[in-house]
This record gives sequence, structure tokens and C-alpha cells, in this order.
Amino acid sequence: MNERARRERRIWRPEIGADIDEELAYHLEMRERDYRERGLSPADARDAARRRFGDPSTIRSAVRTIDERAARERRRAGMWTDFRQDILYACRGLRRTPGFTAIAVLTLALGIGANTAIFSVINTVLLGSLPFPDADRLVFIWNTSDGQPEPIGPGRLRDLQTQVTSFESFAGISHISFTLTGRGEAERIGGSSVSSGFFDTLGARPLVGEPFHKGVADPSAVVLSERLWVRRFGADPSIVGRTITLNGRPRQVVAVMPRRFIWPAITAQPSAADTGPELWVPGGPGDVPRPATNEDEDMTGHRNTGYLRSVARLKPGVTFAQARAEVASAGTRLSRSHPEDDGRGATLVGIRNQFAGAVERPLLVLAGAVAFVLAIACANVASLLLGRGAARRRDLALRRALGASRARIVRQLVTESIVLSVAGAAAGLLLAWWGSASLLSLTPPDMAGLTRSGIDARVLLFTLGIAVAVGLAFGLVPAIELSRDQLTDALAEGGSRSSGSRRTSRTRDGLVTLEIAVAVVLLVGSTLLVRSFTALTRVDTGIDTHNLLTFDITVTGDRAEYQSRQVQFYDSLIQRLEAVPGVRAVGAAVTLPIGGDDFGTGYLVEGRPVPKTALRAGYQIVMPGYFHAMGIPIRRGRDFRSSDDRKAPPIVLVNETLARAQWPGQDPVGRRVRFDDDGQWMTIVGVVGDIRHLGPSRPPRPELYQSVTQRSFPFIAFVVRTERDPYDVMPSIRRAVVSLDPDLPLSGVRTMDEHVARALSKPKFLSTLVASFGGLAVSLAIVGIYGMMAWSVTERRQEIAIRMALGASREKMLTMVLGRALFLAAIGISLGLAIAPLATRTLSGLLYGITPTDPVAFAATGVALGAVAALSALVPALRAARVQPAAVVKY
Amino acid sequence: MHDRTTVDLLQGTLAALILKSLSWGPLHGYGIARWIEQITEDELLVEEGSLYPALHRLQARGLVTSEWTLSETNRRVRCYTLTEHGRQQLRAELSRWERFSEVVTRALQSRRPKTA
Repeated sequence: MNERARRERRIWRPEIGADIDEELAYHLEMRERDYRERGLSPADARDAARRRFGDPSTIRSAVRTIDERAARERRRAGMWTDFRQDILYACRGLRRTPGFTAIAVLTLALGIGANTAIFSVINTVLLGSLPFPDADRLVFIWNTSDGQPEPIGPGRLRDLQTQVTSFESFAGISHISFTLTGRGEAERIGGSSVSSGFFDTLGARPLVGEPFHKGVADPSAVVLSERLWVRRFGADPSIVGRTITLNGRPRQVVAVMPRRFIWPAITAQPSAADTGPELWVPGGPGDVPRPATNEDEDMTGHRNTGYLRSVARLKPGVTFAQARAEVASAGTRLSRSHPEDDGRGATLVGIRNQFAGAVERPLLVLAGAVAFVLAIACANVASLLLGRGAARRRDLALRRALGASRARIVRQLVTESIVLSVAGAAAGLLLAWWGSASLLSLTPPDMAGLTRSGIDARVLLFTLGIAVAVGLAFGLVPAIELSRDQLTDALAEGGSRSSGSRRTSRTRDGLVTLEIAVAVVLLVGSTLLVRSFTALTRVDTGIDTHNLLTFDITVTGDRAEYQSRQVQFYDSLIQRLEAVPGVRAVGAAVTLPIGGDDFGTGYLVEGRPVPKTALRAGYQIVMPGYFHAMGIPIRRGRDFRSSDDRKAPPIVLVNETLARAQWPGQDPVGRRVRFDDDGQWMTIVGVVGDIRHLGPSRPPRPELYQSVTQRSFPFIAFVVRTERDPYDVMPSIRRAVVSLDPDLPLSGVRTMDEHVARALSKPKFLSTLVASFGGLAVSLAIVGIYGMMAWSVTERRQEIAIRMALGASREKMLTMVLGRALFLAAIGISLGLAIAPLATRTLSGLLYGITPTDPVAFAATGVALGAVAALSALVPALRAARVQPAAVVKY
Repeated sequence: MHDRTTVDLLQGTLAALILKSLSWGPLHGYGIARWIEQITEDELLVEEGSLYPALHRLQARGLVTSEWTLSETNRRVRCYTLTEHGRQQLRAELSRWERFSEVVTRALQSRRPKTA
């Protein structure tokens, strides 16, 4: 059968074809009769008529085409008319019951609004377009150590670059901060040193000027971000070619990158302290990105000094998986031929994962939470519709008896729900728009992508789609249920309960049970997150964080001059600060815990063979007096002293974790260790208490402390222990610093409590939001249970009255209603607790100090919801107990 | 057989004739064909291949409606009725036709213009 015939058969409507045949046959017969009457023989008449008529099949198909098109148009017009009628009818009906409409629209607005708000965030953060051509071909290269990604040393990175064939281009990146002087107040600015091919690899175009290119980069060039250009230079159009002073050295501005060039800090493990760079400078010797410690040092030979991040563009046709496999095998191969690579592996991370990987899971968890809220909202509205429908049952049955088809009535009822849900979606959009402000105020810094989120066409489409889906979801059940009635049933229902209303009641029971189950799942999840967050806030970080102020200082000017004077300078600053009234103690460290820098190192223990896998420890460089100021106890030995200078024998302090790991049960003081890339043995002079350097959620790790007096840095962070609110003392501190050096930028002023809060901002964000969605779910469930029980008591008034007239006590009625509510709640809670582990499994990486199946959280949720169910049913139950038999039975 | 003119002279002519034929009351398809043949004394030959599509098209445009009736021989017959819309259309067709034929007649009967 050819295609045309098939199509014709599909749309062929028997009655149209048959009608045409009959009409044409009649025509032929009449013509034949006429011919006979004119005297032709029957056979001749017939032939003549046939001849005259022509080919009947041609006529037939022409006419059928016309009729079918007309029928289609009629149907379409009819549907449109029906639809308009349904909408009008729905609006009229909803206006007649304003209370119901308001509750339903509000419920849906909460559900849909929450979904829209979260989707608008996902839309920008996870699905948004990246400001680079072919952005999804961009990948980031990391070392791996014990499966954890970490930065790479320049030598190893160069080898990877030459051995891996999957990359079209490639650029190294380091993060360094710069001190901008010479114009206004000195300021410390986060920046980045990059290989000359950086901008070429990304395919990024500047706003003005021309950035440096692969192989041609003036070492003194600098590229500014639009933000910095506007903030510091008033968007000066003649900026290109101007010279600015960074870290005491002149640099020429060659370009400004536009605001849409979104470039975050590239980190292996996202942390709250990261902010994206505001300027870019070319690499140092060998086109290697400059290290933070010494801008001019030739780093080309270093393999184990891991400070480089790297972005690469895949060659056309190479898949991500192929490239990752190639990088992994090259990484392993290199580690075999270079022992100093410490057996590390190498891996790739896609750009979306690198940029948004840290927030992806929290966002998906939130999306799940709001989906649950919406499910409850749907169940509630469906239940409300059923209750409302019971009142209209007779009306609907009558309409069916008068000829409306069941499908017609279902369509009308569903239209009504869609009108409701679209109204709810409109209100929800307003809520989402308004709520995104409070969402932003809670936003952790590394979720900064949220600030870009907004309501665009995709979000609107999503909301509309949800509205229609939701309208169908909560409208279809009641519609089918209500349209089932036959007229006789409904009319027979003269005030007593009919089979129809009993069926409705069963459906509502089911909906309420389901609603409770979903609320349980959501509440278990939020209980886990809140308990996890509470546990995090109670973690002992090992530091006394109260009344502790921190700020950063970068020494500018000629390095050679300062190097000798740095320690002296820090010393005198500490002395001046200690003299400020209200200051109890002052300390300084290159690497501040919780939100500050973090260094790591490999080390060796004297007298022991070199282990197969290198010993790793955190590496902290601090001034004497630091431990006292931080409230870190010295468990054994002594603190650093000013006399421990470069001329004195090298010494270190270790923390308890390191001491326990290397010398369990022994005193490590007097033993010697050395860095695995540095030949000098250093004597351990003391053991200090453990701290959680990387934040409350990360357990203490081994730490090596070296003194600034033996290893100085051009930047340092100060900690000031104050007697009262640190910010009260801040002006005096600032004056003390300026009195020593007016060009000294003092940046990153924060209390340690704020650092901790920042480190906890993501768990706080997530637990706050999920808990509020959980609260929303429970309130909706209360409304659902209450509405259902109240309706059921009204429905059963007569039955209750009769029972009471026959001697049942009020208490019996009370327990009957309460018992029913608790029975439904018990089913819902068991169902919810059974499903919950599946949902909470997704939280496993986001929880601290609690398992996703924590029995306490599960039990508490079950009990809480049982109590909620009982409370919600209390008012209807009391009403049942107050029924006056005489007043009711009389009807 | 003498020469006959088929009704495809002008588009719309057949439609106008059908509407006219129905202006006195409902007719079935064959009745319409016969009326046209009789009124034009068989000068115009209505081809069924044009008549029925035209009729159904008029129906789709809402100018005529049809319903099934029973003939005297107890057969189902589809009868067409002019709608109000169809009646208006007929009037419009008539006045347009009059104007048209007047113009064409005048043009065809005109004399050769004198040249200067």
C-alpha cells in the first residue's frame, strides 16, 4: 500500500464515504429513469446515464476531500468554542467559591513558585551558556593524589603538555594576589598569572585593547577585568597603554576583559574563600605562570611544587573520555619515570563541572525538595477539588443525563483545574521573583552564579509546562471520579451518603495518605541536613574563634630591600598592634586556617627509609606568638622565638596528629624531619594542638609549622585577639598600620567567626532552604489532613447523629474521628519512612557527622508527623463530638 | 447531438446557478442538474464532475445546508437548502453578473472608434 493510500485510509470516515456513494448512486438512477421515460431501452438508458455521468470515483474522491476538510474545520472550531466555554465556565465557578479558589491558588503558587525559583537558579548555573566559543571543548587538568584532585608542578605540567596529543591548545594558570599602589588607597587584588596562550585557548575577546597571545607576551603586560577597570579606573577609555603599579613594579595595561568573561578561581577543592581574579599577567621564565611566593623565580624545573592549574582545548573529534584516558595514562607514566612526582595520577575535569560542580548536587537536592512540595500541593488541591465536587455531583450527573458525554465533562473539569494551576503559576512567578531576593541574601560566595539568575524565556516555559502538568495531575483524578456518577445515584443521594460520596472519601483518604508520605520524606531530609549543620557549628576547630580579628598585609616595594627587613617589619607591626588599647594578643601567619591560603608539602623523617608513598602534611608558616593569639595550645616543647632566625639551626613544630602518626606514644621533640625537596634537616621543638585548617567539616590532618623568622613571605595575615567586639578596635588598628607604612594595604578584614560562618555558608544555605521547604510541606499536609477530616465529619453528620441517638458517647465519636486520622497518618508515615532512604541517599556527600539513614532522624520525623496529624484532626473530631442528634436526625 | 456549452465558462457561474436553483426551495443534486438543463433548454450541460464538488464546497462555505430526506420511493435522498448567507450571496452574484454582462455587452457591441 502506498503512502497516500495509507493516509487516506487513516482519515477515511465511513459515514462521509457512504453518504457520497448514496448521493451519487441516486443521481445515476434518476438520470437512468429519465432516459427510460424518454424511450430508451433499460440497457441503453443505463449505458447512456453511465456515459453521461463520467468516472464516479473521481467525483467521489473530489467531494470527499471537500467534505473531510469541512468536517475537520468544524471539529476544530467546535473544540475551540468548547474550550472557550469551559474556561468561561471554570472562571465563573471559581469566582462563586472565592475561599476555595484562594486556598487552591495560594497552595499552587507556593509549590510552583518554589520550583520556578530553584529552576531559575539551575537554568543559569548549570544550564546557562558559557562566554567562550565551543565552551564544552574546554577542560581542566589536575594531578590526582589518593583520588583527590590537586594542582600540578610546572615540570610535570610541561611533560603532560608535550606527551598528550588530545589538546589543541593549552595554558597554565596560577593565582597570585597583587598590591595596586600609586592611585588612591593601596589595595590587594586577586589576580592570576597565565601562560601566554591563555586567552587564545579560551577564544575570549577583550572589551578594549588586545590581550597577549601565544608566544608573544610582554612580561610587563597586564589585562584588567571590566569590574576592576570600572571600580579602580572609572572606566577610563584611555586605559590601554597606561602604566599601573602592581607589587611595586610598573605594568602596562594592554586590554580589558568584558564582564561576560566570567572566570572564577580555579580550585581543586572549592572553598568559600575563593574569588575570581580581577587581572591577568603573563607567566615568568619559560612562560610558566608565576608562583605566589616569588614572582621572578624560575619555576620551569620544579615538578613537585604543585601550584598550577591548567585549561586546555580538546582537538576536534577527540571526546572527553578519550582525552581523560590519555591524560591519566600519561600521568601514571610520568610518575613512573619521575620519582619526585610522588606517584601521582592526572585527570581532566570538564568546564561545567569545574565551574559549577560544587553547587550541582546541592541544587539538585533543592530541586528534589521543591518537587516534593509541589507533589503535596497537588494532592491538597486534588483533595479540595474532590470535596468541592461532591457538592456539584448532582449538577454534573444531570448534565450527563441531558446528553453531555463523560469525556466532555472530564474535559470541562480538567480545564477548570488548568485554569486554577495557571493562576497559581502566575502568582508563583511573583513569589519566585520576590523570593529570589531572599535566596540571594543566603547565597554562599562560591554559589555566586546565583546573582546572575533571573527569569528568562526558558524559565517561563518551564513554569507554564509545570502549570499544565500540575493542572492535569491534580485535575484528572477528581474529574474521572466525579464524572462516574449516574444520574440515578446522584439524585437518590437525598442527603444520605451515596456510593459516590463514599468513593470520593476513599480517594481523598488515598491522597492524604500520599501527602503524609511525601511530607515524611522531605522532613527526614531536612532533619538530616539541619542536624548535620548543627553538628558542624558545634565542631571544635581547635581555635578560639571568639573576638579574633584577621586581616591581610602585603609588603610592597623593592623585594630585595624588604626581604631582610620583612621579619623586622612584622615584628614592629606586632609590637605596635599589641600596644593598641583593647588588644590582648597579636599573631601573624602566611597561611590562615579556615578560608585562608593553604600549602602542603611532602616530608621525610630522619633515620627512616624513604617510604613508597610520600608523607604529606599541611605546611604553615607563622610568626612567634601566633599560637597564643589563636588560642592553640602548645602541648609539648616550646613556641618559636624571635631568636630563631636564619642564622639559628632550622626548627619546626608539628601538630598532634602528625606526632601521633609518626611517633605514637613517644615524644617527638628533638627528632628531625625535612621537606622532600629540600636537603636541610629541621629539629622539632614543640607539638601544638590540632586545628581544622580547611574548615569545620574537614578533620585535622598532619601539619608542619615553620617560623616566618626562618622563611619569610611578602604577604602575611595578622590575627588580633581583642577584649571586645573586634570591629570596635579596627579604627585604632588601621591607624597603627598606617603610622608604620602609609602605602601598606590592609585587606580582607574579617573576624574569625565570620570566616567560620563563610566556611559553613553552603551547608547553612542548603539546610535552611530544605528545612523551609520541609516546613512548607508540613503546613500543606496540615491543611490537607484538616480539610479532609472536616469534610468527612460534615459528610457523616447524619451517621454520627444516629449513632449518638442510639447511645454512642461523645468520647466514642471523638476517638472515632481521631482514630481514623491516625490510621491514615500511620499508613502515610510508614510509606514515607520506607521511601525516605532512597531519597536521603542523595545527601550522603552533603552530610556531616550523621548518616543518611540516621535512625533518630527517622523516628523523630515519624513521631512528629503523627502528632501533627492528630492535632490537625482535633478540631473536626471535637466538632463530631458536639453534634446534636436532635438537630440533625430531624432532616 | 447539437452543440452544448459546458458550465466552466466562468468560475463562480455554476455556483451562482446552483444558488439560484435552490432559491425556490430545497432540491437534491439531480434536481439541481435538471433545473439548469431545463431552464437553459439543454444549452448548458452540467457535468456531474463539477456539480457535486461545487455543491459540497458551497455547503462547506455555509451557503447551503443539506439533510437526508426520504423520496416518494422511500429512498434516502440528500436535499440541499439555501441558507440566509447563501441567499445574500445569490443577491450579490446577481448584481455582479448584471454589471458584468452589461459591461461586456457594451464592449462587444461598440463601434470602431474614429481616428483623427
